[in-house]
Amino acid sequence: MLRKPLYSLFGVLIVLSLLLAACGTAETPTDAPAEPTAPAEEPMEEEPTEAPVAEEPMEEGPCLIIGALHGGPINDAGYNQAMHESVAAIGENIDCVEIIEAENVPEEAGAITTIENMISEGAGMIIATAFNHQYPALELAGKYPDVIFEHAGGWEMSGNFANFFGEPPEAWYLMGVAAGQMTETDKLGFVAAFPIGWTLTFANAFHLGAQSVNPDVETTVSYTFNWADSAKEADATNALINQGIDVVTMHVDSPATVVSTAESRGAYSVGFQSTHAQEFAPEYWISGTGYTLGDTLTWLAGNVIDGSWEPIFLRCGLWDGCMDMAPFGPRVPQEVQDEVMTVSSALESGELVVFTGPVYDQEGNVVVAEGEVLGPDLMSAVDWLAQGMIGSPQ
Amino acid sequence: MSTSSASSRRSSASVQILSGAVGRYVSMLVLALVIFGIIIWISGRNPIVSYRELFGSTLGSWRGFSEVLVAMTPMLLTALAVAIPSRIGLINVGGEGQLYMGAAAATWGALTFSEAPAWILLPLMAALGMLGGALWALVPGLLRATGLVNETITTLLLNAVAPLLVAFLVFGSWHSPMDTNRTPTFVEAARLPTLPGTRIDLGLLIGILLLAAFWLFMRYTRWGLEMRAIGGNPEAAQRNGVPVKIYIVAVLCVGGAIAGMAGMSQVSGYYGVLLTGFSRGIGFLGFLISWLSFGNPVGIFLTSFMVAVIITGGSMLQLTTALPYAVINILLAMALFVVLAGINIFPRRSTG
Amino acid sequence: MTGLAILGVLSSALFSGASLLYATLGETINQRAGIVNLGLEGVLLISGATGIAVTSLTGNPYLGILAAVIAGGLTNIILAFLVVTRRGNQLASGLALMFFGFGVSALIGRAFVGLKINGLPRIVVPGLSNLPTRYVSLLQFDILIYLAIPVAVFVWWLLFRTRWGLGVRAVGENSDTAFASGRNPHWIKYQALIAGGMLAGLGAAHLTIAYTLNWSEFMTGGRGFIAIALVIFSKWNPIRAIAGALLFSGAVAFQLLLQASGVNVSPFLLDTLPYLLTILVLMLWGGSRKYAAPASLGRVYMGTE
Repeated sequence: MLRKPLYSLFGVLIVLSLLLAACGTAETPTDAPAEPTAPAEEPMEEEPTEAPVAEEPMEEGPCLIIGALHGGPINDAGYNQAMHESVAAIGENIDCVEIIEAENVPEEAGAITTIENMISEGAGMIIATAFNHQYPALELAGKYPDVIFEHAGGWEMSGNFANFFGEPPEAWYLMGVAAGQMTETDKLGFVAAFPIGWTLTFANAFHLGAQSVNPDVETTVSYTFNWADSAKEADATNALINQGIDVVTMHVDSPATVVSTAESRGAYSVGFQSTHAQEFAPEYWISGTGYTLGDTLTWLAGNVIDGSWEPIFLRCGLWDGCMDMAPFGPRVPQEVQDEVMTVSSALESGELVVFTGPVYDQEGNVVVAEGEVLGPDLMSAVDWLAQGMIGSPQ
Repeated sequence: MSTSSASSRRSSASVQILSGAVGRYVSMLVLALVIFGIIIWISGRNPIVSYRELFGSTLGSWRGFSEVLVAMTPMLLTALAVAIPSRIGLINVGGEGQLYMGAAAATWGALTFSEAPAWILLPLMAALGMLGGALWALVPGLLRATGLVNETITTLLLNAVAPLLVAFLVFGSWHSPMDTNRTPTFVEAARLPTLPGTRIDLGLLIGILLLAAFWLFMRYTRWGLEMRAIGGNPEAAQRNGVPVKIYIVAVLCVGGAIAGMAGMSQVSGYYGVLLTGFSRGIGFLGFLISWLSFGNPVGIFLTSFMVAVIITGGSMLQLTTALPYAVINILLAMALFVVLAGINIFPRRSTG
Repeated sequence: MTGLAILGVLSSALFSGASLLYATLGETINQRAGIVNLGLEGVLLISGATGIAVTSLTGNPYLGILAAVIAGGLTNIILAFLVVTRRGNQLASGLALMFFGFGVSALIGRAFVGLKINGLPRIVVPGLSNLPTRYVSLLQFDILIYLAIPVAVFVWWLLFRTRWGLGVRAVGENSDTAFASGRNPHWIKYQALIAGGMLAGLGAAHLTIAYTLNWSEFMTGGRGFIAIALVIFSKWNPIRAIAGALLFSGAVAFQLLLQASGVNVSPFLLDTLPYLLTILVLMLWGGSRKYAAPASLGRVYMGTE
């Protein structure tokens, strides 16, 4: 009897909230998309037909609503920004597409809420760009068979779930070639997030590339155990440089911290994830690579729109336009640049293949036998570091 | 045993507390909503629309409502983990850490006994979870009972150690072959059953049952009476033969066990895997919820619900207003500030 | 391990630890006045975001530092209001402040993620540039690092050699007797909190403007709690805090050094050391009067304050 005031009050509050909620759901929540990804009005591929059919089918709603989720902030000058720009390119290339974006989406189960929210807003295609969003996306793919799911960098496939990614190892090899020639102390540093297969593959490719032009080179790998912890990245970079390393690169979400720190210490840096990284090191920049998957994603979205989409394991590299190489920095001499371009041609033509045997690990065991090549399917399962590298592959 | 005057004193005190609680909740919501609305408006968005989205997505659909219940589940338990020790005057800020250790222990069970059937595995994991949390509270309890160190400090410090230990375990031997920052996904048998069509897992029911059990225990058992005695006046209780030191250790461990249970329900029910850093303040929110409700089980239930609505709604807010998800913390903080600034009505002692 | 390597670890520790030291000094003043700020993490985040915002907008890192310092002081005023004026529960208020900091810093910082800023320049003390370059590069500190230890000494002097510090400590022991001896405990606590907040802001400024040179959400990574542990570990003494900060911060570099020498220690286990050491210190010296906590702080921990 004494609890009545409390309960009745809560009753009132809940009724109020439900009323607000009812008004909320009455309006179709397809308001302005979260990000101002409204395409700049560039001339489209089709000739603008200014005929009396002036009213575009915009009034019927978008032809496809795409929900894109990122694990970090979209302006991080790194992976998330590269992915964001690739997604935004879809909107620029296809006029009738509407894009909903969410950034800083938590991993695993937290992503499920976001994806379901997007689907409830009408998304017909979900692009999950963070590595850790694979399983939640896969689970929801089973629950929503009419929605197409594309994941970046994973390996799972199903009827409405596929993945896409660039092909970094060759780009890394090229960066290694440049770094190996630029270093004066023969010590290179690699700041990594987690010792996952892809990271080890990148580090190995980098080191092998450097080794090919400088056999004495040594690469130290340091883990921050976080995709985006800038303080730890600064810690690692400083500690590496204090050990005498003069070229630093990284595999973390954003190259900004590592590159800025290296620049402030007068060490060379090689960027990754996004070519925007160059802004952070005007002087000691060597080069870098970034993902430019805009055209790929546009192609995938186009497939979804016209109904021809099929799940494929899509990988494309430097020479397919999926990855871009940043311009060389001001301190890189012409001979180094030429050497890199030569190696690049060799890689492009297939004359040279990264991870051609024999490749040895840190203890000297053969991990890729003579005459064999490490295939792309095995790259994400790599668990060793090449000879001449310091650090633990665990 | 109680005279009529004593019971009427109790009831008038209850009325006071309840009406104070009512006033608290009302002012908490209204003022906080207003201030947060101003912040939304300053950021260039429409507060009315935003609030409609927030409440619409959480209370306006069954899916949204179920998500609120999902978010509420661990907080019920972590709040209880604070409320129980608070009855004897102990401050348990260590919910975060106990949560992690419970999750770790339960994960060990899931990974080691993955062949076992669910009716063995799940209770085992629950027991392990509670054991893990309890062990994590044991040292603070002992240190406090022997008068060496206050449990406030020790539980706080151990909060930071637990996620590091979990990371050590996950990156060390527990990680799945392809992904190093998570364990392999738990087998079906290791997953708490969920309400079909939703993600609400058994943890919610367990939480509600434990809350009820707590209420009954404190009211109707001898141990509850002794705990209330300690909470009122420890020295007098000691003189009357109540083994205060044993209670200190035991009660803190019980609190830890419940937080550990929360951890188990998170990894077994919600996530299905152990991730490093999976808790973003659930333990601390539990502390705040318990504190706001003065450790009262009904209050804990209602406050957890409110907090869960705010947190879950924030996720939708991000999609529609492009405000970073973390901004919802401001609303939460505003509600807390309002309550904290307003409370000087009831001195702490009367509620233990 | 060569001398150079050890010097490298020390250098890394200084780089990483300066921000921690400032935050610890601020919290030391707070706790000496009898107030524990569990929301220190939030204060650091807000100050850091503000610092980055102003540095980015004005292009001047010194203005950014100033802004961060002011932001830290202002944020702590919130805590002061809740705890001193409204007599709210310190632990709950602190935690609420922490959540507040999560949100506000995300709001402020959002526009500045991934932007390049003019960081604090690194200075080499003129006489040292004659040393071989390997050594010189280790000693390229920015001005805030050079100031860290002097500021610690200054805070020590402030607390233990001035009337103001005496007032703060008196209030920290017992507000009532302080009041009886003619002081205004409320005002003193406000001052202590503002000073503490400003120092915390300085630490956050160093972290974002001089160390990581950018902003991202939650970037302080628990430094607030490490600072609280460090305050206890150094027994509320600013001088001991210097050693503690270096000790706590050297972990990453030390781990790398060990790794380079072939010894693999888990960085996670190393990171637990600050907290475990603090508990150990409390156990060993907890009862001693000389190293005891300020008395009213103890009452906060007991729940009776």
